[in-house]
Amino acid sequence: MRGEPIIEVDGLVKRYGQLVAVDAVSFVVNEGEIFGLLGPNGAGKTTTISVLSCLTPPTAGTAKIAGLDVTRNSLAARSKIGVVPQEIALYPTLTARDNLVFWGRMYGVPERTLAERIDELLSVVQLAERAGGRIDTFSGGMKRRINIAAGLIHRPDVLFLDEPTVGIDPQTRRSILDLVKDLNASGLTVLYTTHYLEEAEFLCDRVGIMDEGKMLAIGTRAELTTSIGATTSIDVRADGLDDSIVDWLSSLEQVTDVARDGDDLTINTTAEANLLPVIVERLAAGGAKVHSVDVKVPNLESVFLHLTGKSLRDEGDQDAAATKTNALHG
Amino acid sequence: MMKALHIAIKDLRIRIRDRNTLVLMLLLPIGLTAIIGFAFGGDSGISSIGVALVGPEDGDLLTNAAAGLLSQVELFDAEVTTEDEAREAVASGRKSAAIVLPEGLIDAVLEGAPAEIAVLQDPASGIKARIVETMVERFATSASAGGIVGRAIFDAVEAERPITEAERWQLTGWMFQWMYETWSEPAIAIEEAEAETRDVDVHSYFAPSFAVLFLLFTMLASAKTIHEERESGTYGRLMASPVGRSTFIAGKLMGSYALAAVQVLLLIVLGSLLFGIDWGSHPVAVIVMALVTAAGAASLAIVIASVARTARQTDNVGTAFILMMSLLGGSMWPIEQAPASFQNVARFTFNYWAHSGFKKLVFYDAGLAGISQEILIILAMSIVFFGASVLLLSRRQVLT
Repeated sequence: MRGEPIIEVDGLVKRYGQLVAVDAVSFVVNEGEIFGLLGPNGAGKTTTISVLSCLTPPTAGTAKIAGLDVTRNSLAARSKIGVVPQEIALYPTLTARDNLVFWGRMYGVPERTLAERIDELLSVVQLAERAGGRIDTFSGGMKRRINIAAGLIHRPDVLFLDEPTVGIDPQTRRSILDLVKDLNASGLTVLYTTHYLEEAEFLCDRVGIMDEGKMLAIGTRAELTTSIGATTSIDVRADGLDDSIVDWLSSLEQVTDVARDGDDLTINTTAEANLLPVIVERLAAGGAKVHSVDVKVPNLESVFLHLTGKSLRDEGDQDAAATKTNALHG
Repeated sequence: MMKALHIAIKDLRIRIRDRNTLVLMLLLPIGLTAIIGFAFGGDSGISSIGVALVGPEDGDLLTNAAAGLLSQVELFDAEVTTEDEAREAVASGRKSAAIVLPEGLIDAVLEGAPAEIAVLQDPASGIKARIVETMVERFATSASAGGIVGRAIFDAVEAERPITEAERWQLTGWMFQWMYETWSEPAIAIEEAEAETRDVDVHSYFAPSFAVLFLLFTMLASAKTIHEERESGTYGRLMASPVGRSTFIAGKLMGSYALAAVQVLLLIVLGSLLFGIDWGSHPVAVIVMALVTAAGAASLAIVIASVARTARQTDNVGTAFILMMSLLGGSMWPIEQAPASFQNVARFTFNYWAHSGFKKLVFYDAGLAGISQEILIILAMSIVFFGASVLLLSRRQVLT
């Protein structure tokens, strides 16, 4: 938690006929946070953002932006948010600058400051030299960046990003995630929807996990993994291991389980970061020669699997997720 | 209001940068007008009409008289032939029409008996053949009048004494001279010939027709952007900004209307420059007619878009509707040749009234008062279309 609540959603329901797209969802986003809505397609993430963006009224419940009810104070609430939709919502035959001028005028940005603001944004998204280029001549990544710039033209309090990295290459994805990080570092609150686990883990201070219209859990990654009892697994391969090391490890409070199989040692712990140097030091002191250490940190996939009984990645997402992991850590 | 204006300006910039729009707006109507003009006899209207004249075997006097009558009008290029040659000339398109005078026509005229003058027409020479038909109708009318006068003279003389054969021929010759002079009476004939020359100027007729037709297509393309914005996500982005739906619709209408006005006014100017079309001596009336027509077309296109649910549906439904209405309303052919019942149906179309207004400006040099009926009807249509589109867009939630 950083600042005061800036988004407050309470018991939000959205029905389309018999279909319940969002089912009694509640959450709070604080100023300065990057809050992620994580879930598979059809989980209700985009519908939630649509209600918060005043694009569709809720069936029940309330949603507030900076204290403004999105139903009763729609126009005022809209001026507080910047929306970056999943699609490239720009005019392809207009230039980048013309697009930003248009969106600036729609948000009522004063003409005297608009040009300056556009120059600043083009610089932030690193497209200042392409200001006069038509959008339909831009690469996918450049379009995405202008799409984000259009959502920032009026200096919103909160930026909604709805799956902004779907269908783009790893390099562009990385640049967009870095941009979001930078924007957040400058104080911007971000509500980010994604069905990519790695993005949520990389970007978000807190994550709300959604499935079938319901909010299943909310918290930091550590809070979420702890809540399901998931532990970090440390696999060590070393010469000269003996049972005394197993006994010593078993006596540690943070260690939940230890198993030795010849030169292989597996330790499950709730405190991977603190424990690893201690283990390595103890092994060395005992005369063991460490060949390799492999740390398996519990992730949101484990949490999602635990909460829903199914994997967040379907078959079609496997490759995309793999390339994304490379992009995030590359 | 300013946001609606910015939406309109944005739309105009997008449309003007689109080459397809320029083709639809200007090149197609001008190109089609030029092609139709050439097809119907060049770029200055109809300069010559070939006519084959077939007389009865014993009627040299009548045939020569008819040929003489036709030669009074410079427009006609008359040639006396046999009936077979005449049919072949018309069928091959060398002659626009053939006039076949029946046996015993003189006697029938003098005795007041029924007689038929046949006009064979080349189907491809619609307007030219129609002119020939009109001339024959006038000739028949003069002949009937002459016959009545002749019979009255014969009856008066025969009441006193029998008429000799020489007197009969002398009287018949005098009667033909009277018909000839009546038919070709210089003061009226010259005046009418000038009026008809304006009437058959193909460019003047079709330029406004095609302008209205392609104005509707341009407006359809413009109205379609309502759905394109929804499908591309820009509408959603607009609705997530402090812009109301009514502002969006107002902006769209303003943009469409401005584009329509520019198109009509440009086509009027280009029609004058390229085809020498004389739009009359009332420029204010021309401008008002252009602006009212633009309003009608813009609101009609918006109502089509608001009935449709997607951009593609707008295209398909709109194109079919516009083509049907243009056929009915006379944007593709001279509706004046249609039966009265058809023209009554045509009165329900926007095209009919738009074309009627421009026709009055061009052919009758009408002022504002002369086209007031057309202006009022198109304005009424615009209000109805606009109201319907606002209702449909809001009630049917086309945009959500």
